[in-house]
Amino acid sequence: MSTKVRRVYGYLAEFKNASQLYKAAEKVRDAGFKKWDCYSPYPIHGLDDAMGVKRSILPYFVFIGGVTGFLTAIALAYTTQVGLYPTIVQGKPANIFTTAAFFPVMFELTILFSGFTVLFGLLGLMGLPRWNHPIFASEQFARVTDDKFFIAIEARDAKFSAEATKSLLAEIGGEHIELVEDDSE
Amino acid sequence: MAHQVTSKDIPTKGEHLEKSRIAKIQRLSGVIGGGGLLASIIYLLVGSGTYHGSYAFSWLFAVFFILTLALGGCFWTFLHNLSNSGWGTSVRRMMENLGFVFPFLFIFCIPFLFPEVQKYLWEWMTSYDAAVKAHPEMSSSEALFHSSNTHDHLLAAKTFYLNPGFWLARFFTYFIGLGFFIWLVRKFSIAQDSDENPGTKNLFAARKHSSWSMIVFGVTLTFLALDLVMALDFSWFSTMFGVYIFAGSALNSMAVLILTGIFLQRAGYLKKVVTQEHYHIMGKLCFAFTVFWAYVSFSQFFLIWYANITEETRYFLLRNTENWNLVSLSLVFMHFALPFLALLRSDVKKNQKFMVALCCYILFMHIVDVYHMIIPERGPSVGLVVDHLPQLWIGGSWIGDLLAFITAVSGFLFFYLRNLSSAALYPHRDPRILESANLHN
Repeated sequence: MSTKVRRVYGYLAEFKNASQLYKAAEKVRDAGFKKWDCYSPYPIHGLDDAMGVKRSILPYFVFIGGVTGFLTAIALAYTTQVGLYPTIVQGKPANIFTTAAFFPVMFELTILFSGFTVLFGLLGLMGLPRWNHPIFASEQFARVTDDKFFIAIEARDAKFSAEATKSLLAEIGGEHIELVEDDSE
Repeated sequence: MAHQVTSKDIPTKGEHLEKSRIAKIQRLSGVIGGGGLLASIIYLLVGSGTYHGSYAFSWLFAVFFILTLALGGCFWTFLHNLSNSGWGTSVRRMMENLGFVFPFLFIFCIPFLFPEVQKYLWEWMTSYDAAVKAHPEMSSSEALFHSSNTHDHLLAAKTFYLNPGFWLARFFTYFIGLGFFIWLVRKFSIAQDSDENPGTKNLFAARKHSSWSMIVFGVTLTFLALDLVMALDFSWFSTMFGVYIFAGSALNSMAVLILTGIFLQRAGYLKKVVTQEHYHIMGKLCFAFTVFWAYVSFSQFFLIWYANITEETRYFLLRNTENWNLVSLSLVFMHFALPFLALLRSDVKKNQKFMVALCCYILFMHIVDVYHMIIPERGPSVGLVVDHLPQLWIGGSWIGDLLAFITAVSGFLFFYLRNLSSAALYPHRDPRILESANLHN
């Protein structure tokens, strides 16, 4: 028998199908939980609303990223082509009014910086990449990539209680309710 | 989530625009459009002098503007059918109605058939006729090579396309061809409304026929733009021009569709089937085509600017001269940058008040865009034909622009209202109407 103290991750409950998961999610949302998640083998339309997930703040990062790219391009094109080393092409003037020549650079860098912000912002907000997740300690959870639907409520949530949360999950139709313990120590 | 729309919410006979409610405005637009058209035809037939030539350009500007709106309506109809879309079934009838304005617009194009108008607008016709008359024994291209005006040599290589007979044939083909196909596709949609056993027959027929209709649309829009606008200066050519017109048409007809949808809803129609989700999608399409328009118009400018070839630069040289340069610059910042930034956020696309203002603004900038395409050619052309002296701007000619514009837009409104009230406002028996009404994105 192990004497190691394990941190409780939370409760995991299984649901029969997408429709049950959807209805259960609405009830967990209405119960006021914040740190919980739904797991499903495939995307379910409208589950965001049922879970009460707010809009991501990623678009604001992307806007800032895009503007940064745009300004970088202007600075890059201007300092190199006008300030440091003006190249005369087909007798065209080497000043800021040669904007047409800079446009492709502005366009590309705006797209590039926006694209990078999407990718890295997304990974950052989701906390990825990571080596492991506490919920993988549950054996039944492996079937989430096959045919099972789960809701996990984390113990970190302010509303979490060992008894009430368990009975809530049972009440809304959860089966095989399991207390998942973090074994990653 | 909002209330799920079911078949109980859809009236069995469909919603119809009450004719009495629009009778007044339709009559008014009909009188202004019809009267203006008649007066314009008479003036264009019998007038003479600088203002006569100036008005020919005003007329082209005004008519081309409404043509792009109707052409865009054809595009969205065919695209919606062809892509098997479900989201827009409840707004599809508006697209069909907008597209079906196109064949009626032929009557506004009648003045382009008058030699009195053609001599100002399309100098190649004058050069062609003069050369053929001077050398009746030669073929047209040889005759043009023998012309004393060296510019005509550029035309000689283009006579296979730019000759009056073929021009006339094309001109009629555009309206008959695309007019027939938009009529056909709209007919399937309307037949569904009164079908006793509404199945997928009409829907699939519309989808099938939209395929070649789309090709007809592409060819018609491209060559209509070439024949009416690009040919204003036969020495100039741009392979981007058709796409450029297309981008503007698609963007602005979507703006018209959004406005129509909002106005119909305010009048109490479409309440069950059109939601803010539809406006969100249409706003996204507006956003996409704002960017596409900028992309295409910049590509056109950029390649010409960089290559710096004499016969290509003329178009932009003229439009970057003196005050025209301000118009060119305003297109960059106000046709692209401002709507681009304004449409970035998703919540503004669902805000109807904001979208009404923005769509009106987009349409206004499209007017500026079409003006910028056509009117700079006026001073040089009319100046040459009348006084043998090219000018940059003809003083007071803007009055003609305004009159022609009011006439054309009234005519457009008349036919658009006629189409809107001639059938149900949305295809209420379409198999996908509930899918569309419960749209969520």
